[in-house]
Amino acid sequence: MNSFTVLQISASALEAQRQRMNVIASNMANVNSTRTEGGGPYRRMEVVFSPLTVEQNPAPLYGVEVVDIVRDNSPFKTIYDPGHPDADKEGNVALPNVNVIEEMVNMMMSFRAYEASVATFNITKSMIMKTLELGRA
Amino acid sequence: MNEGFAALERLLFLASKRHGVIASNIANADTPDYKAKDIKFDDVLEDEAIAVRVTHPSHIVQKDGVRGVGIVIETMQPWKDKNNVELDMEVAKMTENALLFQAGITMLTAKMRMFRNALRR
Repeated sequence: MNSFTVLQISASALEAQRQRMNVIASNMANVNSTRTEGGGPYRRMEVVFSPLTVEQNPAPLYGVEVVDIVRDNSPFKTIYDPGHPDADKEGNVALPNVNVIEEMVNMMMSFRAYEASVATFNITKSMIMKTLELGRA
Repeated sequence: MNEGFAALERLLFLASKRHGVIASNIANADTPDYKAKDIKFDDVLEDEAIAVRVTHPSHIVQKDGVRGVGIVIETMQPWKDKNNVELDMEVAKMTENALLFQAGITMLTAKMRMFRNALRR
């Protein structure tokens, strides 16, 4: 068993939360994007987390990784705005299925998880430093 | 006289193992279907406290001081995504565990100082 494995666990969590933060940021940025390469308005994305085994013996320890980024297939918001360049014949515009409040909440959750992993990292570091001091006076 | 070293070593091993388990929980605080895990010190240490008291030569002594670490799965009420990690609880547990680890290191240092003082006389 290696004391530095725990640092890997924290690092994987930081990486995963950062990726989640990127996805949230792109959802927020595209809250009004009505044209995409695939046609139609932007669809919000979401990350899928899965445990990542970093050590098997003597007991399994898990980091975390982003295994997939999926599109949210919930329906688009429609508003009535005949002046909009992407309005249909009736004057309705389909806007992305991004809910800003939901994204804000996800962002705060992600940030808290990130903070917790930074705290873990610091505690691990201080434990290792303390061990290195062993026997020194 | 040397049992203290063995006990402290065991304490440090278990504390660092538990640290890893709690770090896994914190890393997977948002992973669907993940269940929080923990190492219950009471069970492991109590058993070992009994194991070190050898009062008769025919008693079986466990050669391996460190036994298989008993990881238990927590049974807290899961969230909607079937994950039952409570982030603040885990951070509190981790702080407590790190303090225990530091206490172990401090005691080990004190014990070494004792020996060094005895040798100096």
